[in-house]
Amino acid sequence: MTDKMKTRFPLGRGIILAVLLLFSVIQLFPLVWLIDFSLASNTEFFTSKLLIMPKEIQWGNYPRAFIDGHFLLYLKNSLLVNTLAVVVVLVLSICSAYAVTRMRWKFSQAAKSVILLGMMIPIHATLIPNYMIYDFLGVRDTLWSLLLPYVAFSLPQGLFLAASYMESVSKEIEEAAIIDGCGTFRLLGSIITPMMKSSLITVMIMTYLNNWNEFMMASTYLSTSKWKTLPFSILEFTGQYRANVAVQFAVMTLTAAPAIIIYIILSKHITKGVAMGAVKG
Amino acid sequence: MLKDKRVIAILIAPSLAAFIFAVLAPIVLSFVYSFTNSSGIGRFTFVGFENYSALAKDRAFWNALLNSALLAAGFVLIQHPIAILTAWLLDRVGGRLETFFKTAYFIPNIISSAVIAILWKYIYNTNFGLFNVIARFFGGEGVNWLGTGVAIWSVLVVLVWHGFGWGMLIYYTGIKNIDPVLYEAAAIDGCDDKKMFFAITLPLMRPVIQVNVTLALISALKQMETVYLLTKGGPGNETQFVATYLYKQAFQSGNYGYGNTISVVFVVICLLTTAFLNRLFRERGI
Repeated sequence: MTDKMKTRFPLGRGIILAVLLLFSVIQLFPLVWLIDFSLASNTEFFTSKLLIMPKEIQWGNYPRAFIDGHFLLYLKNSLLVNTLAVVVVLVLSICSAYAVTRMRWKFSQAAKSVILLGMMIPIHATLIPNYMIYDFLGVRDTLWSLLLPYVAFSLPQGLFLAASYMESVSKEIEEAAIIDGCGTFRLLGSIITPMMKSSLITVMIMTYLNNWNEFMMASTYLSTSKWKTLPFSILEFTGQYRANVAVQFAVMTLTAAPAIIIYIILSKHITKGVAMGAVKG
Repeated sequence: MLKDKRVIAILIAPSLAAFIFAVLAPIVLSFVYSFTNSSGIGRFTFVGFENYSALAKDRAFWNALLNSALLAAGFVLIQHPIAILTAWLLDRVGGRLETFFKTAYFIPNIISSAVIAILWKYIYNTNFGLFNVIARFFGGEGVNWLGTGVAIWSVLVVLVWHGFGWGMLIYYTGIKNIDPVLYEAAAIDGCDDKKMFFAITLPLMRPVIQVNVTLALISALKQMETVYLLTKGGPGNETQFVATYLYKQAFQSGNYGYGNTISVVFVVICLLTTAFLNRLFRERGI
């Protein structure tokens, strides 16, 4: 126990840790249960115990989940559409934030408010009309039908974070660069973007988190498996393998794994990014 | 150079286009279709305000709003107090354990709603589900957790559980921003824990609480994914939320016109709620 803690907090450390442990068990036990059951066989599921000790660990559930869940294809699609969305959102956030905070034009504030309005619009209210629009334009079931709404609904927060950063820093460096004859696009690329790295990381994380888990739009706009994303591994599987629950559990573990692994590696950035995004957004 | 119209256009046009194409146009289209009896395919006619008056009398719709209110209550009265308390305790732990707990609490948020919904469907499974195993261990009987009368509470448990880490993290960041000197001064003055929490932590956290509560209320309104996969709004329309209900009307019952009416009202409700909350909190002076 540190000195700080002694003076500040007479409340016992044991009690504190016990309470925190209790809540972490509540948060994590369902996942432990998931992994445990994913390694059991179907016949062992009907148990009166909280966790199963499988007679023989059923590693075989995983290859089946991997292959029949189209794991690789859907993972590739998820990575592709999310990465594209993140890149586009970053570029558009920087450009539009610069246009509304630095450039001098009559409608700059109006343009900003209009785009920020997107934060308040519920995504799900656009499901029906966007389905009709994409159908009409023939882009339903293509990459575009995911990329467009993903970008459009992540952009408001990106613009907001980028603009509040630009408003908070002084313009001196930029002005000096302009006097030296630096053009707008070079200024954005080589001076402003590196400066606002931490804001951009937040934008990146928020965009990734929002879209990685998205499936409502995907399941509405996509009909063939060509562009389907990771959540579909589970959704299709629960239909196909209704009886084989153990393999379903393996699919769920498998699809949850990439995000969890990335999270554990980058947890410092992610927790910081989320807090920053929420407080400012 | 800062007034170059061409540069401004290049910088802002793609963002505006994305907004118009993916957000504004669909809402305008929804608005137009909300006055029709369209079924998605074939001809349709304009029916005036028929859909809107039907919506006003639609019990399933009002029930969906009630469910959002229940969820909001669950967030504000259960999830957030626990989140603040946990964040407050976590702040005192220090070192690796603090990082460990912080990371652990957030993990459910990283997992997609699809996994969460199906996982909880099995947790609620009447035969081998975790809840019934626990219930039977204590000598109870198996409960049909997703059955009539119970389902909405089971749905609320999942949503409150899933979002806990997110809320906790924001409170935690707020608490970390409080100057430790304040606590030290209070300790010298003989303040105990409880007093410090109520006299220092809570008042200084007010802006954070307001932001967090606003986010929670809006998200209670916008709820869809998890509910859709967990219950599809059923049994009957018991666990319907506005978004799942409009989806059902359009894509399962083929009532495109009516579904669009719900979409339009949904947008209006979200805008009004956001505006109301912003004003409420601004007037109270933050």
